[in-house]
Amino acid sequence: MIDEEKLEILTESAKYDVSCSSSGSKRQNRKGGLGNGSAGGICHSFTPDGRCISLLKILMSNECIYDCEYCPNRRSADVKRARLTPDEICELVINFYKRNYIEGLFLSSAVFESPDKTMELLTETVSKLRNVYNFNGYIHLKGIPHADGGIVMKASKIADRMSYNVELPSEKSLKLLAPQKTKQSLLLPMKSLNEAIEYDKHNKIRRGKVLPAGQTTQMIIGASPEPDGQILKLTEALYRNMNLRRVYYSSYVPVVQSNKLPSVGAGLLREHRLYQADWLIRFYGFDVNEICAEDENLSQEYDPKCAWALRNMHLFPVEINNAPLETLLRVPGIGAKSAYKITEARRYARLDFDNLAKMRIVLKRAKHFITCKGKFYGSDCYAQVKNLLLLSGTNEISEQLTMFSEPSTAISAITGEI
Amino acid sequence: MKIFLTDGSPCAFYTAVFDAFNERDCLITSKSNIQISLGSEIISTVYSKEKCERVLNGISKYEKDAEENILTVLRSCDPNKEQIAFAYIKKLMQVKAPIIKHMSLREVIDLNDIIYKVNGETHRLKGLLRFIETNGGVLYAPYSPDNNITDLLTKHFADRFCSERFVIHDIKRNIAGIYGGQNWTTCYAGEAEIQLSENEKAFENLWKKYYKAINISERPHEKQMKRSMPVRYWKFLPEKRDND
Repeated sequence: MIDEEKLEILTESAKYDVSCSSSGSKRQNRKGGLGNGSAGGICHSFTPDGRCISLLKILMSNECIYDCEYCPNRRSADVKRARLTPDEICELVINFYKRNYIEGLFLSSAVFESPDKTMELLTETVSKLRNVYNFNGYIHLKGIPHADGGIVMKASKIADRMSYNVELPSEKSLKLLAPQKTKQSLLLPMKSLNEAIEYDKHNKIRRGKVLPAGQTTQMIIGASPEPDGQILKLTEALYRNMNLRRVYYSSYVPVVQSNKLPSVGAGLLREHRLYQADWLIRFYGFDVNEICAEDENLSQEYDPKCAWALRNMHLFPVEINNAPLETLLRVPGIGAKSAYKITEARRYARLDFDNLAKMRIVLKRAKHFITCKGKFYGSDCYAQVKNLLLLSGTNEISEQLTMFSEPSTAISAITGEI
Repeated sequence: MKIFLTDGSPCAFYTAVFDAFNERDCLITSKSNIQISLGSEIISTVYSKEKCERVLNGISKYEKDAEENILTVLRSCDPNKEQIAFAYIKKLMQVKAPIIKHMSLREVIDLNDIIYKVNGETHRLKGLLRFIETNGGVLYAPYSPDNNITDLLTKHFADRFCSERFVIHDIKRNIAGIYGGQNWTTCYAGEAEIQLSENEKAFENLWKKYYKAINISERPHEKQMKRSMPVRYWKFLPEKRDND
C-alpha cells in the first residue's frame, strides 16, 4: 500500500491544477469491470477552499528536470521529492473508487529523466489501470511537452481527457518564466490530438474513441503582465482552433519567491471575471471584441455582461415576449437557464412581470433592460441604473465560480454547464 | 373537507386521485399525523387497480412523462407532495395538452420545484455516498437522505460497481438497496452490524490525508463548500468527521 507521506507530497504538488471536472465521457462499464463515466460529471467532495473533488488529482513524481519560475516543484526548489509506481497508483484509484471517494484519476507528473520517459510511464500507468485492473471510470491525463507523438497518441486512446497547459498567456512570458517549454511544444500536440478527435468524429467511430471528453488547458493569471483582453483573445483562439472543452484560469498565488514574479497574488475577483467572460464567449454568443478590448482589463465593479449592456444602452429595453433567445441571453441577470425558461413559457402564454417573478427569474438587474407586455419596470435614468447595478453586484464579488454549484440535471446540458 | 389518506404508494395515490377528482374541497395526503380541522372527514383509500389505471391512462394521454414526473414527486419528503401532484393532474386534465413546460403556471412551478429537489439530491448523493468495505468484501453505505431515493442510487451503483456486491442503507426510512452481483432489489432493513475489512481503516485514513493535502489554504471559501456539500450530509463523510 502507498506510503502516507508520499501521497501527501504528491497531492500538495498537484493541487494547483485547476481542472476538476469529470464530465463529457459516457464510457460504459465492461463485464467484470469497475466504473463508468457520467456525462454530466459528479462531484464527490468539497474542500474548504470551495473547490470540488471529483478526481484523485495526483502527480506521479515531483522530481523535475525543468526550472519553471512559478512552479513549487522546479528543479532548483528545495522540497521533498517522491515518486509512485504504476501499481501503487492503480491500487489507490481502485480502492478510492470502490468507496465512492472519487470519480476517477487525474494523473500528471513533473518531468523526470526525460519527457519521453515520463510520458511513457504515465501511459503505462493508465494502460495498466484500464487493462489489468479493468477500470472504466474517468481518466484525465496531463500531456508532457516535448514527449514523443507516438506515445501521446497511445495515451489518448486510453484516457477520457487530456490537457496540455499553455501555462502563461503569451510566448514572451513563457520564455521568461518557463524557458524550457516552448509554445510549439504545447500547441503542436494539442493540434494533433484535435486532428485525431476530428478524424473519429468525421468517420463516426464509436468504440475506442480518442479522448471522448476532449482536451482542456490552463493558464496562470497575474504572474505576467498580459491584460484580460489579450488573455480572452487567446482563449477564443484556443476554443476556435483547438476545439478545447474548457480553458481554466488560475489566479497567481505567490508561493515561490523570485525576482521575476510579482510578490502579490492576482486575486480571486480577476479570475472570476475572466470565467464570466469565458462563459459569455462559449454559451452566450458574445464575441471577445464586444467584451473587452485587447489592451484592456475587465471591469472589476461590473460583471462583463453588465459592462457590455451599459455601453450599449441603445439596444435596450427588449420585449420579453418576442425577443429572440440570442437577445434574451444578452440581458444582464438573465442566464441560460432563465432564458430557456422564458422561451419555453411564452409559447403558452404572454408573460408579464409577475409571471417572471413567479418563475424565479432574477429581476434585480434585468428589470432595467426589459419590458413585459410593453411595460417597463426599471429606471430610465442612466446614472441611476449604473448605481443600482453596482449595488446589486456587490454580493457576488466574494463569490467564486465553481463548475457545479447546483446539481446538474438534464437542463444543464442545454444551458452549457457541462 | 374530505381528507383522503394513502399509504404513500403510487397506486394508492392514483386511486385517491380518482376518488377525490370531483370533490370541491379535499386533501390527499400520506401523512398519518395530519392536523384535522373541525368538520373534516377522513377517508382511507382502498387501492383499486381499475381506478388507478384509469387515472394513469388519462394523464399519459395528455403528457408523455406525467407518470414518471409523479413518481419522482412521490419520492419527496415534502408534506404537500400529494396535493401538488394532484393539482398538476387536475390542471393537466383541464388543459388537455402537455403542460410541463408551461412555466408560468403555479401548479407546474410547484411540481418542477419538487422534481428539481429530488433529482438534485439524487445527483448530489451519487457523489457524496460513501461505501465501507466489510469483512466479507461487501460494500456498505449507510446514509439518510431527505427524499426516498435508495432505488435510484442502487441502480446507478449497480451499473458502476457491476462486479462488486453492495448494500445502500437508508437508516432514516429503514430501506436497503441490495446488489448481489447480478440483480438489485430494495427491501426493509432495520439495523445492520458490520465488521470492517482489514484495509478499510488504512484507506479511509489515506483519503483523509488526501482531502487535507488537496486544499489550497491560501484561498479559503467555506461558504461555497457548505453550499455544495450541506452539513447534514457530513456525518457519513469520513473526511468531515473530526472525532476520529
